[in-house]
Parts: sequence; C-alpha cells; structure tokens
Amino acid sequence: MNLRPYVYATGFVLGLATVLLALSPRSSGQVKLVAGSFFVPLYSAEAGLQSVRNYAANKTATREKLLDQNERLALTNKVLRIQIQQLRAAAEENETLRAQVAFAATNQWKLRLGQVIGRDPANWWRTLQINLGSRHGVREGLPVLTPDGLVGRVHEVHPHRSRVALIGDPACRLSINVQPSRENGILTADGATVFDHTIVNLKFLPAHTEARTGDPVVTSGLGRLFPRGIPVGKLISVEPAPGALNSQARVKLAVDSSRLNEVWIILP
Amino acid sequence: MKNFYALGLLVIALLALYLANTLEWPQRITGTRINPLPALIVCAAMRAPVVALTLLAVLGSLWQTSLSADPPGISMIPLFAVGVAVSLNRRAIHTRLWGARFAVSATAGALVPLVTVGLLMLLGRQPLLGWFSFWQLAVMSLTSGLLALIFFPLLEWLDQAVEDQPFAAPYDTTTRINRNPY
Repeated sequence: MNLRPYVYATGFVLGLATVLLALSPRSSGQVKLVAGSFFVPLYSAEAGLQSVRNYAANKTATREKLLDQNERLALTNKVLRIQIQQLRAAAEENETLRAQVAFAATNQWKLRLGQVIGRDPANWWRTLQINLGSRHGVREGLPVLTPDGLVGRVHEVHPHRSRVALIGDPACRLSINVQPSRENGILTADGATVFDHTIVNLKFLPAHTEARTGDPVVTSGLGRLFPRGIPVGKLISVEPAPGALNSQARVKLAVDSSRLNEVWIILP
Repeated sequence: MKNFYALGLLVIALLALYLANTLEWPQRITGTRINPLPALIVCAAMRAPVVALTLLAVLGSLWQTSLSADPPGISMIPLFAVGVAVSLNRRAIHTRLWGARFAVSATAGALVPLVTVGLLMLLGRQPLLGWFSFWQLAVMSLTSGLLALIFFPLLEWLDQAVEDQPFAAPYDTTTRINRNPY
C-alpha cells in the first residue's frame, strides 16, 4: 500500500488544526462565520417552508376556532391593560421617590424578538443560535429572556446571527438574589442531569441561610450584566452548612430552554 | 468520477450536520445530541480516497464547530485519525457484515467525542462534564453505530451512481468457463 498520500494528508491536517486552534477569538469567529455560511441556504429553505406552513395553517383554520381564539385574546388584553395601568402608577411613584432620594433613573428596556435557529451540536456546551446579529444591534453580553424568565446572555455575535450561552453553561454564571431572604448567590454550570437541563446549582449562599425550598430566585443586578429582578427560577432544595463558610442549593429554572422557539433580547 | 463521490460525501455531511442541529426529538428522547460525523467518516474510509477523507474531516469539523461553542476545527484531528485508521485497515474489516459496520462505527462514535473533550481540556476550556457524560457517550456510540447502517448503503449507492459505466462489456461475455469438467 502506498502510504505517501496518508503522510501528506496527516501533515496537512495537523498543520491546519494547529493553526486553527492558535487563532485569536476574533479570527476564530471569522473562520466560524465563513464555515457557517454553508448552512445559510438550508436555513433560508427552512424559513421559507415555515412561512408556507404558517400560510396554509392560517388559510385552513376554522372560523369557530379563530373566533374562540379572538375572544380569549381580547379577554387577556383587557386584563393586561388594567395591570399596565397599575404598573404605570407604581412606576410614576417609583420615579418620584427615586428623584427625591437622588437615585439614578432606570432605563426602559428596548426589546427585540429573535427566533431560535439552532442548538449546540456538542453535548458539553449549552448554547443556542438566534437569527439576530450585529446588524440588528445585538452586542456581546446582552441579556436574553422570555416572558417566563431569564434564558442566558449573548456570547458570540455575527452579522446576522448570534450565539446565546444559556444559564447552566460555563459562559453564563450569574449573580442571583433569593427573594424573601434577599441573600445573594452564584448560579454555576453544574447540577443538570441528562434529561433535565433546567436544574442548576446555586453556590455561595450564606452559611446560615434563611432560604427555603420554593423561594423564587431573581437576578441580583450585581455586575450590571443583567438588570435586577428578572425571574430565574425557584429553589428545589437547600443544603445549609452551619460549619462551612457558605451553603448551596439547587434551582429549578423558570425557562426550559430545550423547548424555546423565540426569545427576547434587551438591547442597550 | 471520484470527484463527484467526494462532492456527494460532503453534501451528505452538510445535510446530516444540519439535521442533527435542528431536529429536537433525538435530544428529547435520549438527552443527548447526535453526532453524525464519526459514522460518516468510517463509512467513507471504506471506499473513498485519502483526499476525500481529508476533505470530509476538515470541512465536516469546520461546519460542525461553526454551529457550536467549540473552537473551530477542534474535532478535525480525531475525525481524521479515525478515518485513516479505518482506511489503512479496510481489508481487515468485513464490511458486508452488519455487526462489523456497527461495531467499528460505534467505537468511532465513542472515540471522537472523547478525544475532542480531551483536546478542549488541554486548551484550557471547561466543558460541562459529569456522571451524565457517560450516558451521553454511550448514546453517541450507539447512535453512531446505527447511523453507519444507514450511511453504508447510501455511500455504496453514491459510489455506484457516479462511477464510470462502460458502453459495452470490456470482455467476451460469450466465453463459458467449465470448472472441474471431470
């Protein structure tokens, strides 16, 4: 057997792999962008098929079903409008009080809806891809959420798509606040199981923690990466450690990222 | 015509990676993402020349990592190593036997992610690992073996579809061979 082609090919692959693994993060991103462009026609075809499917579903929906849906939406709309009135009054009161004690004014969130277009093919990362990129104003580090709670943060930005590191990924550790006791802790990347990715470990709670199972967990706002008060999940177990420096707990996340189709990004 | 075969191989790799990236139900059932490349490179190594094998390892790895948080080309070396090992020993593997196809591909399906994770850790990354990783490894190995049972006939068909077909039989078909006439 002629081994010469194998030797040449091995040298080529080893050299190329060494060069690629030594690239800077910026250059790596550009290589990924070029390699990922091969999937653009496939994603476009999928989006086209989806719109055809939506069109067909809209055309074939029965009038009875649409009327029923319309009625439910109108009812929800009324409830939400009343809640908005209440919240607007509370916000005005909050702004007045903030002005009186000279607190910095809070900004309104600028939200942008993005669609999930893919998930990480590697089992050792928890990330997903969305169809918004730098052309849409997305920047690295922006918070990503749904109406149920926090999803993660933008980790990698390309012109037309971005990668979101989900809570539970090593790239998305965050400081949280356990609601009634107001104790802070750090959500880490470990704790998930094979079939339930919505469980993560909460570390660095005070040693004599007052947190209890079922307590809600929200973002603390520390580090200014995530705004304060976004729901993250609730405690499912607490392990107090009286002799240790701190105790830890397990958190069931509010959002099951494996079933997400759409997410919201808070733009700067 | 081997160029068409290599091109077909790359198209199959691209489609397989796209499907593995977008289909949700395998992960919902098994809790694990499916990696089609180890099975594909094992099947390709049985027939394809080393150039096609190299292209598949390089482009397949780049395509896969473009969808992932992995550094670009991290799985290139393990994929190529598996492909070369199978290609050099292709005469020793009974590829007509389904069990052999399954066993070789399942071994590749376990080795490639193991070496990839090892390389990631050497680079100072912190991949998510735990007891669940053993389950994921077992599922990746099993699904790789099962995928080989699909990829082998597909690549055989592709090889036959693009090979040169003679206009006429290049030998005398009227000659009869009498074996052991006595």
